[in-house]
Amino acid sequence: MPLKYRVSIIVALCILSGWFLFPRNVTQRQRGPDGTLHDVTFRRVPLQQGLDLKGGTYLALEINDSLQKIPSDKKGEAIDRALKVVRTRIEGFGVSEVVVQKQGSDRIVVQIPGIQDPERARKLVEEQAFLSFNITDKTQALERALPRLDQVIKTRGLTAKTDTSAKAGATAAQKGIQGLLTGTDTGKKADTTKKGAAAAKDTAKADSLKIQPGGALSSILEQGQIPGQFYVESSKVPALDSYLADSAVKAAMPPGKDFVPGVDSTPLGGKFYRSYYLLDAKPIITGEHLTKARPNTSPTDGTIVEFELDNEGGRRFRNETGKHIGDYMSIVLDRHVMSTAVIQSAIGTRGQITMGGKGLDAAQDLALVLNAGALPVPLRVAETHVIGPSLGQDSIDAGRRAAIIAVVLVVVIMLVYYRFSGLLAVGGLVLYMLYTLAALAGFDAVLTLPGIAGFVLSIGIAVDANVLIFERIREELDRGKTVRTAIDEGFRHAMPAIVDSNVSTILTAAVLYQYGTGPVKGFAVTLIAGIFASLITSIFVVRTFYLLWLNRSRGAQTLSI
Amino acid sequence: MLRILHDTKYDFVKHWKTAVGATIAFIVLGFALMGYHEARTGAAVNYSIEFLGGSSIQLRFAQPVHADAVRSGVDAAGFSGSQIAAFGTPEDFLVKVPLKAGATSAPDAPAIGQQIVAAFAKTMPGNPATVRSAESVGSSVGAELKTKAFTAILISFLVTLIYLAFRFEWRFGVAAVIATAHDVLTTMAFLAMMHLEVSLTVVAALLTVIGYSLNDTIIIFDRVRENLKKQRKESLYDVLNRSINETLPRSVLTHATVLAATLALLVFAGEVIRPFSWIMAFGVFTGTFSSIYIAGPILLWIEHRWPRKTGTETKGAARAMAEERRRETRTPVATR
Repeated sequence: MPLKYRVSIIVALCILSGWFLFPRNVTQRQRGPDGTLHDVTFRRVPLQQGLDLKGGTYLALEINDSLQKIPSDKKGEAIDRALKVVRTRIEGFGVSEVVVQKQGSDRIVVQIPGIQDPERARKLVEEQAFLSFNITDKTQALERALPRLDQVIKTRGLTAKTDTSAKAGATAAQKGIQGLLTGTDTGKKADTTKKGAAAAKDTAKADSLKIQPGGALSSILEQGQIPGQFYVESSKVPALDSYLADSAVKAAMPPGKDFVPGVDSTPLGGKFYRSYYLLDAKPIITGEHLTKARPNTSPTDGTIVEFELDNEGGRRFRNETGKHIGDYMSIVLDRHVMSTAVIQSAIGTRGQITMGGKGLDAAQDLALVLNAGALPVPLRVAETHVIGPSLGQDSIDAGRRAAIIAVVLVVVIMLVYYRFSGLLAVGGLVLYMLYTLAALAGFDAVLTLPGIAGFVLSIGIAVDANVLIFERIREELDRGKTVRTAIDEGFRHAMPAIVDSNVSTILTAAVLYQYGTGPVKGFAVTLIAGIFASLITSIFVVRTFYLLWLNRSRGAQTLSI
Repeated sequence: MLRILHDTKYDFVKHWKTAVGATIAFIVLGFALMGYHEARTGAAVNYSIEFLGGSSIQLRFAQPVHADAVRSGVDAAGFSGSQIAAFGTPEDFLVKVPLKAGATSAPDAPAIGQQIVAAFAKTMPGNPATVRSAESVGSSVGAELKTKAFTAILISFLVTLIYLAFRFEWRFGVAAVIATAHDVLTTMAFLAMMHLEVSLTVVAALLTVIGYSLNDTIIIFDRVRENLKKQRKESLYDVLNRSINETLPRSVLTHATVLAATLALLVFAGEVIRPFSWIMAFGVFTGTFSSIYIAGPILLWIEHRWPRKTGTETKGAARAMAEERRRETRTPVATR
């Protein structure tokens, strides 16, 4: 190849690299605080920094199959749909340069740069936001099932560890029931004449509860204010949860019903009580019919989220609520009852969820997740990394320092040992660094701390090809060849070794890329980019430097190597 | 012309028994240490939370603080049983909180960090701590990562074996892969001796060492391949020795530059990347050692066990080789 072309290729590569590394405007879609999407433009060097360098939150999400089993062939599709939902939610977070992507076949990775509230981010993506409206049970199904449940718990030996506390609790529970019943009764009366049988039912309930004062479950549960509602003292909630987790207990629960906790606790007589609800398992409608949700404050209910339903949802909602006038309906979000209200009349397309004293940002987040839609499957956080910005900056500084020292050391070694040829190799090394960084920018690679380490390491390895060539040239010179022939032969003989060793390294790096995650992938990319750049500079660029030198000093008898 | 180790005639291969004995002793010592670690801490390998699951909180205090004070603060926060390690400077500490039994999802690391910091505000009011990073991993990730790391190493072996068999000959491929497997073992022994934390980055370093060591072996084998073509009379033993000697200046120079870069990382690149740097520094030595003293003797042993069948193995290749030999005897290359 004529020298002219060689030089112009090198210059072209340099210009291309410069262009890749030149700061440019990057436009990204971003959701503003008002909820609308708009484009934001900012200027930066195209080389992206990983979260471990710029600080931020990293979340890896996977399907949570502890509650319901999801067949493995459905998982991929579920993750794809979940990805869309998570993306919409995270975009609503209002941060630039967020990354939401699938990793492997069963994980979603969320990266939020900068100092954001990591816990809020976690809540936002973990919430399944499965909204449903269920009728609260009024048939006393649980009360009737209680003797059987107590028996099951006894035979399963679940009570053994909480025996003494259960006894103490039993007496307290009795008192609680009395107090509650009177309280409920007055409440009901004030509530007016919904059902004539209500009072009779209440006594029946109290009877059924009193039948088994010693039973494990019946000593925990206390009758709530409305049919199907139960109070559990806060300290007994873990015991109740452990009973409910048992498979035999699950099987003995009333069929077609769901036993679901509420979100808040009520203080009664100096103690805190958690509400539990027995609901019809089949919801009237679910959140998929929801078209719009927005946070608001109301003078009577405090913070609320108002929602609208689509036509079909509205029609069904009107039908069902029409059938259940006088019954209680619970709004259930992710298996937690958000609020319960009596159905006064058929409800159409509009409704509201009261936030129960929570702040406006909680209402905003709820509206956000409801708008984004429910996750098709529940997700759980498999991995989280929160890196403070100061740590990232320290890493960058340390990495830069190490890189500079490494370059200086390598340059000194090459210059001392190979003199003029070493200088050519150093010239090649400078271009090597330029090309590698440009390749990384061009492939939109993310620079991580291991990536920087890989880059520094590659500076040491990059000169290997030069060393191989120079040693060969020395051998050829020893055999008495002329300078020009020695250079030609040196390059030619060093070729197989250079190719074989670099290809095997690329193969290892490719495996690393395939099986690595996050920072390790970044490392593999740096390594591969480095090898290609090193091949180009040592074989092509340094050769051209030699040719230029030979051209200038024709008939050179000695070579400084 | 500055030259080191030029035109040497060392008999490297002669000492292979001593070398192999030494490396086996090193590996055995390392694995014995793993047993000791297991007896002492319950874990043979100091895995990071990426593999074990749990949380890891990096703290920085305003002033230097003793590890015991950190431990009592972490205990006060309710995370007794955590592992506490100094992290570079007297102000920096790494707290590893194990995963609760039965927990599958990743713990809320930022919240744990805040609880620990709040506890320190009580136990050490004059020395506030800040959370520099908070990471946590659930139980599902760890097991998967271990399998992945293991598969990655195995596949890289397989790929190399195929490539070398294709470019050289199966003998060379097997010898190179065994030498590389040796490097994995010595590096694991080194990990145990330094009690370094095994994270994903360390696995990456291990794979880089594999690549680097292969590089080195290939450079020597390339010479062997070339010398075998040239000198058919010489025994493989002599060819091997000659090839190692001929590539010695290159080895020294390259190891010097790589070691320079590695030392720069080790000293200047900070605590986060330090285990990586240690592995690489060790890798330079074990890689060089294995390409001379493991790959060479194994090649000799294979040659002894399954002698090269000249002429029958692949007729085309043999004919080409013979042709080349004839040409070389006719026109002597060396014009010394």
